[in-house]
Amino acid sequence: MHLTQKQIQHLFLRTGFGETPDTVLQHRDLTVEQHVNRLFKFSEKGLDITVIENPVKNEKEVTDIKVLRMILRSKRKTEELNLAWIDRMAKTDAQLREKMTFFWHDHFATRVPMAYLAQLQNNTIRKHALGNFGELLHAISKDPAMLLFLNNQQNRKKHPNENFAREVMELFTLGEGNYTENDIKEAAKAFTGWQVNRLGKFEKNVAEHDEGSKTVFGKTGNFDGENIIEMLLEKKQTAKYICTKLYRFLVNHTEDAEFIERMTNEFYNSKYNIEHLLRFVLTSSHFYEERNIGCRISSPTEFLVRLLRTFKLRFRNDRIVLAGQKALGQILFFPPNVAGWNEHTDWIDSSSLLMRLRLPLVLFADVEMDLRPKDDGDNEEPEEEMSPGQKALLRWVKPESDWIEVLTSFQKLDDQKLVDSVIGSFIQCPSNCMDRNLILRSINTHDAEERIRSVVAHVLSTPEFQLI
Amino acid sequence: MKTGRRDFIKASGLVTASMLVPRLLRASDLGIPATGRSLVVIQMTGGNDGLNTVIPFTNDIYYKSRPKLSIGRSEVLPLNDELGFHPSLVKLKGLFDKGDVGILNSVGYPEPNRSHFRSMDIWQTASDADQYLTTGWIGRMMEAHKAVQPHFAVELDDALSLALKGAELKGLAMRDPRSLFANASQPYMQKIGTCNSVDHEHAEVSYLHRTLAEAKQSAAYIYETSKIYSSSVAYPEHRLGQDLKTIAELIVSGSSSKVYYVSHTGYDTHVGQQNKQRNLLKQYDEAVSAFVADLKKNARFKDVLVLTFSEFGRRVEQNASGGTDHGTANNVFVMGGSLKKAGILNDTPDLTNLDQGDLRYKLDFRQVYSTILEKWMDESAEQILGKRFDPLQFI
Repeated sequence: MHLTQKQIQHLFLRTGFGETPDTVLQHRDLTVEQHVNRLFKFSEKGLDITVIENPVKNEKEVTDIKVLRMILRSKRKTEELNLAWIDRMAKTDAQLREKMTFFWHDHFATRVPMAYLAQLQNNTIRKHALGNFGELLHAISKDPAMLLFLNNQQNRKKHPNENFAREVMELFTLGEGNYTENDIKEAAKAFTGWQVNRLGKFEKNVAEHDEGSKTVFGKTGNFDGENIIEMLLEKKQTAKYICTKLYRFLVNHTEDAEFIERMTNEFYNSKYNIEHLLRFVLTSSHFYEERNIGCRISSPTEFLVRLLRTFKLRFRNDRIVLAGQKALGQILFFPPNVAGWNEHTDWIDSSSLLMRLRLPLVLFADVEMDLRPKDDGDNEEPEEEMSPGQKALLRWVKPESDWIEVLTSFQKLDDQKLVDSVIGSFIQCPSNCMDRNLILRSINTHDAEERIRSVVAHVLSTPEFQLI
Repeated sequence: MKTGRRDFIKASGLVTASMLVPRLLRASDLGIPATGRSLVVIQMTGGNDGLNTVIPFTNDIYYKSRPKLSIGRSEVLPLNDELGFHPSLVKLKGLFDKGDVGILNSVGYPEPNRSHFRSMDIWQTASDADQYLTTGWIGRMMEAHKAVQPHFAVELDDALSLALKGAELKGLAMRDPRSLFANASQPYMQKIGTCNSVDHEHAEVSYLHRTLAEAKQSAAYIYETSKIYSSSVAYPEHRLGQDLKTIAELIVSGSSSKVYYVSHTGYDTHVGQQNKQRNLLKQYDEAVSAFVADLKKNARFKDVLVLTFSEFGRRVEQNASGGTDHGTANNVFVMGGSLKKAGILNDTPDLTNLDQGDLRYKLDFRQVYSTILEKWMDESAEQILGKRFDPLQFI
C-alpha cells in the first residue's frame, strides 16, 4: 500500500510531532511497511536525557538538610529537564520513541520534588517505551519517583498505605470497576516495604514487608509486589485498558470497539510487546481511513513541539516555551494528578483557543503577545525575585529560525497554488471550511519570503490547525 | 430564564451594538436593571495560614506552638471572646462589625491531601480525596444551568482554571476585557471559523468553530458591557485590586455573568511568613474593602456573594525557618449584603485534638458549595456535586 501526502503527514503527526514538507516529499514513494520500518529504525535506541546530575552520586549518607536543599532546587532543575525534553522532541529522529515516552509519561503521571528522580523515571520510560509493557510496569513499580509520589514510603507492615496498590489497578492496568476494594487492601500488603532509600535507590525494606498470606483476585499466597504485577498482566483486561487508551492517543478519540478488540488480542497474545502492537496499528488500513485523519485535537505539547520542529524555531529565552506550556495548560513533569492530563476537547476553552490562534501570527507575522501565567502556589523554591512587571515581559517574540529553507518547496508557486500547498501541508482535517480568499488577501507583498511567511501564519492561525 | 445552546447561537451577534451606552458614574442613573445574583470566588493560592488570619488569641496552645510566629494579643483585632483578625485586616474588621462577613472555621475534607496541586484540584473539582474528576464545580454549574455563554463564569487570568471547566461548557479567562477583545476582534480572527457547512464526520471541527464563535461573542459582550460603568472608587494598584475593580465594573454594568473567579497568590509561607502574610493580607484587605464600597455605592452588594478560600491551612506548630508547613482544615470567608447569618458561624478551631499536628476538619467544603449552589445560585447542588451535602445557614 502506498500512502497519499495526507496519509504520510498523518503517520508522522501521530507517531511523532510532525515533519517538514520537504521530509514528507522525500518519503512519498515508500510503502507503508517501509515507512513503519523506518520509524522503528530511527527509534532503535533510546538515548537518556542527562541534564540533571545525580546530586548524591558521591555521597555515602544523605542528611535531612541535604534532602531539603535538593527539594528547594528541584523546581528550577525540573524546568531544565522539561526544556531538554522539549528540545529532544523537536530535534530527534527517534520521533516514535519520544512520542511513546510522552504517552507513557501521561499514563504513569508523576510529580516529584526531586528533579533527578524525575529524569531517572523519564529515562526508564524511554528505555521501555517501545519494548515490553510488562517490563515497563515492573520497572515503574520500583521507580523511586513513583513510589515517593504514591506514598509507598508510608506503606508499612503495621500501617499499610493503599495509594500505590489502588492506582496500579485503577489507572495503570485494569481501570475502574475491574477489581474490589479488598483486592486493593490485600495487594497493598504485598507492596509493603517497597521503599526508596536516601540515595534515591529502590530497596525492599524487609523489616517493613508483610510476610503474611494475602488474597488477591481469588488467589491466596504469600505474595510479593512482583506477584501482584504478574497477576495484573495475566488479566486480559489490562491489555484492553492499555489498547483503548492507546487507540485514543494514536488513532481516534472516538473508540472503535472492534478494532480495539483486535489490538487487545495482538497485544495480549504477544505478551505485551509494544512494538508488535504499534506495527499492527500502523500497518493496518484502518489507521489510514479518512475518518481517523485530522480528528485529534493536539495537546499543548504536541501543538508547541510541532511548531518548534516544523519551523526549526529557536528562542533567545527558552523560558518562553515554559510560559507557553503553562498558558496552554500542559507542563511536562507537572501533570495535574496521578490520572494524568485531560484529553482532546478538554484542551480547548475560549482563552486557550484564542491563544493558540494568535501564536502563529506572533511567530510569523508582526504581532506581539505577552504572558502572565498564573502562579500555582508552589513557592517551595526560594524565589528569584521577579516583579510582576518583569514577569509580564516574558514575551513571545519573532524567533530566529531557518524556517524559510524549510519551506523551499513553496518558493516558486503563484499565490493561489501557494495557499493550496500550505493548506495541504499543514491542515489534516477536511479544509472545505477554510476561507482561501481570506488567506490570499492577507498577502500584501511581492517579497518571496514575506509572502510565504504570511500565508503560513494565516493557515496556522485557524481552528483547523489544532487538529492532527 | 434559561436559554438553550442553540437559542443563544441564533441570537448571537445581536448583543453588542445595543450595549453602547454613554459613560456615567452610577449604574442607577443609567437605568441598568439589576441582573440578579452573582458569586465572586477569591482563591488564596499557596495555602493561607488560617490560624494567623483568624487568631485564637486566648488559646495557650496557639502561643506555645508558635513562639515566634504568633500574633500578640494586643495586636489582634478581636471579633469575639476567642477569635480575632490579623492586624492587616483592619477594613475587613469594619465590614465584619457591620454584619457583612461570615467566618467558617475548620473547613476541609476527609483524608486531607497536603500537596498544593492535589488539594487545589480537590477544592476546584469538589471531588473526594481519592477521586479524580476532570471537570470543575463551576463548570458543572454551567452545565446544570445550561448556560451557553462562556462569560457565564469569568476568570481574571490568562488561563482557565479547572474549577471553571465543564465537560462541554467552559468559562472564559481573560486578563481584562480590553486585551481579550483586542485579541478576539482582530479582523482575521473575526473572519475565520465562520463556515456553516462543517463536515459532520469530524465533530471536532465544529467543536472548535463553536468554541471560537462563543469566544468572540463573549469577548465582545464583556468588552461592551465593561464600558458602561467605570468605577470612581479608588482601588489599590496591585493585581488583586485591579481584578476586583474589573469585576465590580462588570457587576454594576449589569453583565449577565454569574460567577467571577480570581486568584491571589503567594501564600505558601514556609519561610519568612510574618512579612509575606502581612503584605498579602493587607492587599486582600484593601482590595476587598474597595470592592465592597463600590458595590454598596451602586446598591449591588445585596446581590453579590464573595467566597474566599485556600487549598489548605497550615501546621499548627511553626517550623524552624520562620514559617509554617502545609496543613489541612482552614477558615473560609463569606461576604455579601444578603447574608442571613454573619459573624463567626461555627466553633473555634480545636487545637487539642489534632491529626498529625494539623486541624481536623469540622465542615466539608462541599457543604459550603452546596449552600451557595442551592440557596444563592438556585441550582441543584446534589446534581452538581454528585451527592448530597447538607447546606449551611449563612444564606
